Amino acid sequence: MIWQIIKKQGLLFWRNPQQLLLLVALPIILIAILGAALGSDFENESSPIKMKVAFMENVGEQEQIDQFITDLHEKLPSKAVKEIESNIENMAPINSIKAVFESEEVSDFLEITYIEPSEKNKIVEDDSYSAIVEVPESFSYDVLDFMVLGNTEAPTLTVTYNEEQQVRTSIVSSFLTQFQEQLTKGAFLGKNGIDVSTINFQEIKGEVISINEKKPVSASAYYTIGMTVMNVLFLAGAIGYYAYHEKELNVFNRIIMANVSRWVYFSGVLASGTIFAFIQSLIIFTFSWLVYGIRFPNVIDFLVVTLSFSFAIGGLAVLLSALNYRLNSETITNFFMNIIATLLAVLGGSFYPIGDFSPLIQSLGNMTPNGAGLTAYITLLRGDGIAGIVDSVMYLLIFALMTVVVAALCFPKRGVSA
Amino acid sequence: MIELVDLTKKFKQIYAVKNLSMFIERGEIVGLLGPNGAGKSTAISILSSLVEPSGGDVRFENKSILKHPAPFRKVVGMVPQNIALYSDLTAEENLLFFGRIYRLRGKELERKVDEVLEQIGLTDRRRDVVKKFSGGMQRRLNIGVAMLHDPELLIMDEPTVGIDPQSRNYILETVKRLNEERKMTVLYTSHYMEEVEFLCDRIYIMDKGNLIASGTKDEIKQILSSEKTISITMERLNEEFLDSLKENPLVNRVTIGEKEVTILVPRDINIFSEIIKLAESTGIELNSVDNKTPTLEDVFLHLTGRALRD
Ligand SMILES: Nc1ncnc2c1ncn2[C@@H]1O[C@H](COP(=O)(O)OP(=O)(O)O)[C@@H](O)[C@H]1O
Ligand SMILES: [Mg+2]
Repeated sequence: MIWQIIKKQGLLFWRNPQQLLLLVALPIILIAILGAALGSDFENESSPIKMKVAFMENVGEQEQIDQFITDLHEKLPSKAVKEIESNIENMAPINSIKAVFESEEVSDFLEITYIEPSEKNKIVEDDSYSAIVEVPESFSYDVLDFMVLGNTEAPTLTVTYNEEQQVRTSIVSSFLTQFQEQLTKGAFLGKNGIDVSTINFQEIKGEVISINEKKPVSASAYYTIGMTVMNVLFLAGAIGYYAYHEKELNVFNRIIMANVSRWVYFSGVLASGTIFAFIQSLIIFTFSWLVYGIRFPNVIDFLVVTLSFSFAIGGLAVLLSALNYRLNSETITNFFMNIIATLLAVLGGSFYPIGDFSPLIQSLGNMTPNGAGLTAYITLLRGDGIAGIVDSVMYLLIFALMTVVVAALCFPKRGVSA
Repeated sequence: MIELVDLTKKFKQIYAVKNLSMFIERGEIVGLLGPNGAGKSTAISILSSLVEPSGGDVRFENKSILKHPAPFRKVVGMVPQNIALYSDLTAEENLLFFGRIYRLRGKELERKVDEVLEQIGLTDRRRDVVKKFSGGMQRRLNIGVAMLHDPELLIMDEPTVGIDPQSRNYILETVKRLNEERKMTVLYTSHYMEEVEFLCDRIYIMDKGNLIASGTKDEIKQILSSEKTISITMERLNEEFLDSLKENPLVNRVTIGEKEVTILVPRDINIFSEIIKLAESTGIELNSVDNKTPTLEDVFLHLTGRALRD
């Protein structure tokens, strides 16, 4: 019976090309427009955001490395020292940071300038810089000491952020985090022939916020996700409208008169919302995959996020429907479509990653279903697996359950409130 | 078969239905007549267990349907006052959807859809979307959907509102045929007294939530037994003539049309000569003076002082 309701809803969408256009073609157009306007070169997957970072070393790295090797001779057998020495190029932390900053992907949107300590004040005044990364005097020495011998405190990079450019600085910090992860996971140490088990290393603390940005996300990818999660909200509204018209036209009464429980109908609306949100998302993502080559590393993870997000949309759809029934008007859905959805879209970061402005906005954004969905998708695109999206997925599922429960409480007996 | 006992429905301050009692026997066509806002739709909604009454009871086969509506819903087909159809779907798709909602499947569903399309005369339009239909065709489909599950009782809420006379006749004939050939019981709601007069065995008349008359056509017209209706037609009306009619103590009520005046007078009075005299003295050119057989309209007029149609 629920299947009949879903099928009918599908047929109704199919018969409403205008609606289909709004739900599927519009986001696709928006992706193209936003991607083109904000990302300078869509095809090349360049980032929407360009930033300048100043990099300041107090003491040259090579000096410190030499000192470290000299000191090491007193502590370790010379054979071990030789081995370490042959790999020291790869272990040198500043070299690694520079390598990341100068890599092709990163230099696309991050312009690095090496400065002298004397220039620092001038750069601080210069608003065009997003951040100044300052390497403390014995940083390289301490890092090596820490990695090889496990001595001393974890060394710290000092990053001065430009208050007015928080979006950008958070990206800088995420790159530093990426670097930090490489160090701590010993990935490149192991790769370079050092037996990791002999090295007692601990985490290096950087004064950076970890947002695990492993891969930059292109404008087209960002807006594909942003527009999808936003437009799927409108699907919830559309379903709310359909449900209300079924009541207004007495079609709902017909269903009740056929001895179909209102909970079957309710479930039909929920299932329709979920399924069509799923289909809508798949269509838009498929488009962006075919046209812009945006693809998720792992299809299963992608489907997990899409399903949870669709379920949250189904919940929203049934909640809007129930409120329409309860209040006997579609005002609430109008309000949702005209105002709430846009607010949610802004807050959830569909137009701009506004969460980067402040942690408060970020957490607010993540409390919107679309924001949680967006965060999860971006996390996946950046290469984090299922572990990185657990929170968002859990939140989406909880959101879905909450809306369903509230909707069930609102849904009037016999479909009428009087 | 079904009985409404002292049914009352109050919306905030107003009584939409007040102490309504009525019954329907198997095989009857019962009319529920009343002007807009009389409470017909409300009564029907309660009767079909969609709205809870503020007081009273609805009994089907002597069991209250308020708590256990399922057995009753199984045998009743409901034709709502508005077009309760998906206008973006075709006639056939609508029938298929509602048929499935009524748990019909496969061959049985197909057979039933074909049969209903035949009955409502839409077989050759089955693949057209409903919004392209004329009002009359939509009304017919609206009825068709209610017949998919072979109901024993068909409840029709103003099924002919706003359609052309041809479609209207088609619907009336269809209802009559269903009743005669299939013994389908019908509750027919309307504010057109001709329809009710044509179709119904027994009639209930409502106004402002109250039942104001009930019985067979003849019984109801007996209400007018003490009075008769006289219709006077003329070339041109004038105030003087009307005033003197109104002032005449024998005349109970004067209703004014364009070239016609209808008056109610006591049955045993001969007023013809008086009317002719009055016409002469006020310069009225009479065309006819007729003794009219009373209609339900007249009854309504008599009971409420208002015309049935607004
Ligand atoms: N849901 C409702 N809320 C408030 N008043 C209503 C509602 N439904 C009907 N009414 C009122 O009840 C009265 C009877 O309405 P209705 O049953 O639709 O009359 P009819 O079908 O005879 O035209 C009207 O005055 C109408 O305004
Ligand atoms: Mg009505």
